[in-house]
Amino acid sequence: MAWTWFHRFASPPHVYRVAGRLTPWLAWPAAALIVAGLIGGLVLAPPDYQQGDGYRILYVHAPSAWMSLMVYTTMAVAAGIGLIWRMKVAHAVAASCAPIGASFTLAALVTGSLWGAPMWGTYWQWDPRLTSELILLFLYLGYMGLRSAFDDVQRADRVSAVLAVVGIVNVPIIHYSVIWWNSLHQAPSVMRLGEPTMPPSMLVPLLMMLLGFTLLFGALLMVRVRGEVLSRERTASWIREALRP
Amino acid sequence: MTAFFDMGGYAAYVWPAYALTLTVVVLNVVWAREALKRSRKEALRRLTMGGSES
Amino acid sequence: MSESGAMRTALNSAFDGAGAPGNPAVPALSAARLVLARDLKLAFRKRSQLIQPLAFFAIVTTLFPLGVSPELPVLRPMAPGVVWAAALLSSLLALELLFREDAQDGTLEQYAVSGCSLTWLLAAKTAAHWLLTGLPLAVMAPLAGIALGAPGAAMPGIVASVAVGTVALSLIGSIGAALTVSIRRSGALLSLLTLPLDIPVLIFGARATELAIGGQAYRAPLELLGALAVLGLTLAPLAATAAVRINLE
Repeated sequence: MAWTWFHRFASPPHVYRVAGRLTPWLAWPAAALIVAGLIGGLVLAPPDYQQGDGYRILYVHAPSAWMSLMVYTTMAVAAGIGLIWRMKVAHAVAASCAPIGASFTLAALVTGSLWGAPMWGTYWQWDPRLTSELILLFLYLGYMGLRSAFDDVQRADRVSAVLAVVGIVNVPIIHYSVIWWNSLHQAPSVMRLGEPTMPPSMLVPLLMMLLGFTLLFGALLMVRVRGEVLSRERTASWIREALRP
Repeated sequence: MTAFFDMGGYAAYVWPAYALTLTVVVLNVVWAREALKRSRKEALRRLTMGGSES
Repeated sequence: MSESGAMRTALNSAFDGAGAPGNPAVPALSAARLVLARDLKLAFRKRSQLIQPLAFFAIVTTLFPLGVSPELPVLRPMAPGVVWAAALLSSLLALELLFREDAQDGTLEQYAVSGCSLTWLLAAKTAAHWLLTGLPLAVMAPLAGIALGAPGAAMPGIVASVAVGTVALSLIGSIGAALTVSIRRSGALLSLLTLPLDIPVLIFGARATELAIGGQAYRAPLELLGALAVLGLTLAPLAATAAVRINLE
């Protein structure tokens, strides 16, 4: 019983259809949450005790950073599943994740830099979180570079899957070593707020943005996976049905 | 109203940060839809050209 | 030529008549020993190629005094970072060839179908890489350190940290080399893949070196380096094997 569900899930035509139907259910709530979060974060939340209105960058920086890590984890898990069970759909998911994750990592880096600039006096500091984000960007670029080096999609899928799994093992190690390194040299950090604990008026918009971005990732994934699944399919039968306008 | 845009003096940092993030969001949406469109076109082309190839 | 021919015959007879994987004609350790000996022997034939990573290391460390300042008090704080960055890059240099030649002449495929554990054979090749690159670097590193203002008393600490760290570097590097073994001109991609994974080694290694130069106890970061090396030893050959098999399909 469980196996039939699993195999149905793995079938490309099924995924193509279901992903298409799920997309609006993810996209519209995402849009609503993000708009609400923006209003909450920009207008309704009070200024910070230490950083005034400058801290409001948190409402775009934190979701971007969250995305960069969550997407990488999803990518690695999907890649691992694809490698172990030889599921094309899992590889399609992994391939879809990479550009999304890389672009939000870039956003996290730039917003983090803009957040720190007025507080630090420079546009860059080797803050542990920013440094880890930078290394994560390199991991994404390496994954995408490795994929594009292979003409055969199947080999690209499987080789990059090994890299993704190796990478996910390394992410906590890298993160820990960067924090350790930074604690020795005491670089100034700014990603902490003056408030001892976050009041609800500050916290709720943040949670809305985090959830909204997560649902957005879901929607983007649905769209991309459909395309990736199509390009991995050879047999014409279900495609003809599926692409009928 | 101007106080809102001024962001307590941090306007030069806050607004570009928001603009950039929202641009990344919009770009991702456009990018994903373009990718799907391209894959559909490609799949249709394979259909009409190759018939049922392996 | 006849010597490598004799070695090739020895290897072939070891792998010939091998049963299915799990029932090899030759136990994994002896096959690994043979592969290690072969790689070392072949490397010593091209002595000029052997020197290259070491010469590269010397040149890179020379760049810093020239680019920054000849004054030792200015160089001394930089010394750990410079030594380690140079060691990373030199280790990277030799990685491209780690599996490539064997992949091109079909030896790697022979290893894969031989019935002997491919993991052990790749680990043996990685050990050869360390013996030829990492270990000499560990010997050279204290000299570079002294050239950058480190005191003589720091030498044992520098040797220890570079020796242990380069073990981890060779193992991590073997993963990248295995992933890119079938790609032409993979140098830049290999670096992009390997260097982020090397960063913890760099951080702990440079810290150990820094403490050694300062005359302080460097045991803690050295043990962390050792932990990374052990982790690499258990996981890297497995990842490399998976990558090689996929590339040979």
